[in-house]
Amino acid sequence: MVSRNAFLIAIALGAYFEPGAVLARPMAPVQAAARQYRYPTRRKVDNRPLPQGVTAATVHAPYGTGDCSLCHKSSDPKNPGPVNKAGNALCYECHQEFEEIMARKYKHPPALEACTTCHNAHDSRQPGLLHGELASQCMECHKNIRAVAETSKVKHGALTSGKRCANCHNPHGANIEKLLTALPFDQCVGCHSVDDLKDWNGVRLTNFKKLLAENGKLHAPVAAKDCSACHKTHGSDSFRLLVADYPSRFYAPYDLKIYALCYGCHNDKVVSERETTTLTNFRDGSKNLHYVHVNKLELGRTCRACHEVHASKQPHHIREGVPYGQGGWVLKINFTKTPTGGTCAKTCHDRKTYVNKALSTVGKSR
Amino acid sequence: MTARRRSTPLALSLLLAGAVWPPSTPAFSNVAVGDVLANPELPMLEGGRQALLSRQAQANVFVFFRPRQEHSLEALKAIAACEREFSGKPVHWVAVVSSSWSPEEVRTVVGEAGIQMPVLVDEGDALYGTLGVRLHPVVGVANERFELVAYEPFRKINYCDRIRGKIRYALREISLADVERIDAPERALFPNEMKGAVANRHVRMGEALLRMKDYDRAAAEARHVLESEPLHGPAHVLLGDALAAQGKCAEARKEYQSARELDPKLGSAAKEKLGACGAR
Repeated sequence: MVSRNAFLIAIALGAYFEPGAVLARPMAPVQAAARQYRYPTRRKVDNRPLPQGVTAATVHAPYGTGDCSLCHKSSDPKNPGPVNKAGNALCYECHQEFEEIMARKYKHPPALEACTTCHNAHDSRQPGLLHGELASQCMECHKNIRAVAETSKVKHGALTSGKRCANCHNPHGANIEKLLTALPFDQCVGCHSVDDLKDWNGVRLTNFKKLLAENGKLHAPVAAKDCSACHKTHGSDSFRLLVADYPSRFYAPYDLKIYALCYGCHNDKVVSERETTTLTNFRDGSKNLHYVHVNKLELGRTCRACHEVHASKQPHHIREGVPYGQGGWVLKINFTKTPTGGTCAKTCHDRKTYVNKALSTVGKSR
Repeated sequence: MTARRRSTPLALSLLLAGAVWPPSTPAFSNVAVGDVLANPELPMLEGGRQALLSRQAQANVFVFFRPRQEHSLEALKAIAACEREFSGKPVHWVAVVSSSWSPEEVRTVVGEAGIQMPVLVDEGDALYGTLGVRLHPVVGVANERFELVAYEPFRKINYCDRIRGKIRYALREISLADVERIDAPERALFPNEMKGAVANRHVRMGEALLRMKDYDRAAAEARHVLESEPLHGPAHVLLGDALAAQGKCAEARKEYQSARELDPKLGSAAKEKLGACGAR
């Protein structure tokens, strides 16, 4: 190991000639890809080696072996001088995998601009030669995410466990927006596929691998692997990290606002129009049965009374039964799809059948 | 809000036009991907009437949206960028909105999103009902034969990429396999998860040491890689180079031979190096 004090002096001199090697100077001209980026692409960081006596968690191999001239003009640890190549090109000489990483469609502008924005080229108290703890480092620029994570009523364990931000994001480059390493569903199921996962309040969470294996009819966002259509990932004020309000009970007075989550995609007119032949197939002739069930001043049935939200065995995401009352008794729905509509039997009501098409038109529409 | 009844029922041909998409692909409730769409003429927001689809276009893109909805605005903004990107190409764009919304509300969202395409008014939600739209926003893409080639409900992630991919597919710029790759992008591995990344790094370090004439350490880097990856061609070359530089030609030859067996291209460069070793 080279003498750290000597190295510090040498680095200070080197900085005079080659600013890219040490403390970040004022913003360099940003690359085209970074022009519309709303976060800083450079931060003020200290790229000098750790002071003598401080134990490093990671050491860059050339620094650790005292091979200064692998990166610097001189092999003299007391005076290594400027670096051999400006910018990331020097790093990529050995870290060739970055040719592939930085060719990915979505790139992190600070990574494009300078590896040293996040990594110390000598040694670090953090894994991966990071200047600071990973999530703190991310949130130093991504202040909006920090605010959501800290102030939301409902927290997401993914932000505080494992690799934290890097559980889902690749801070160099990715093939998916937001630098996600995989599509949202693949990310989520990566953790939500066990029986004993609990939320931050200790409530047991669904094993989605199991649920989806047992229920083949997937809700469109699930089929599209787009969990983020309904769930926030950094924190939310709604239960289960939902992006908007969704009634948690069987009954609720009808109010457009409490269904904000569903109406983010579905047409609210499905429930507000008393008569229709176009808006829904859950109708008896033109009598809109969604309106009949849901649109009530007091005991309107909420979406969850009849529909599953992730996956079901029955068409139209109809659930087999719904927990009713405080004892958790499951009220069966007994839905059967028929060629001309459907039937629900021995449920909240006795058998009732609806017809939305004439037998003569059956087969002409799906 | 009042839903006006449509005056004439829209005819929709449900002839299956061949499998242009995997059968499990989600689609409108009443129309699947591969079905041939009817081409109703609808009133335009700014007056006059226009057909939903055009025979002159190779890609017909229709976007169902509604005012006062965050996802619709977000989607229209993304689609406005797509619209600009495909300008000059045979793409026919229309946006479709229910007649139950006031023209002012529709103009507001259209202006904010910046779409240039004509806005067609779906009187009494007739087209919505015929297709079985159910969701807002949703994009349909049809080809010049009016076959539905894609159905895209809103997505928070990679929405633009998906729409762009479907249009390019309709324009025959990319294949179905390309579309599938766009829809299911490759996982973005971290550097140390990438096959060969760490080994390559050791080889690069060894090459640098070789340039610094530190042959023992260069050889050590190569041997370190070969311990875990005995079939790593460049590591054999590096070891050969380090040994040749030390005048150990017979051992170097063995390493070059191993490299040649793994990759003939690596071997041809080694031949020259061996010649130099022998001459030393």
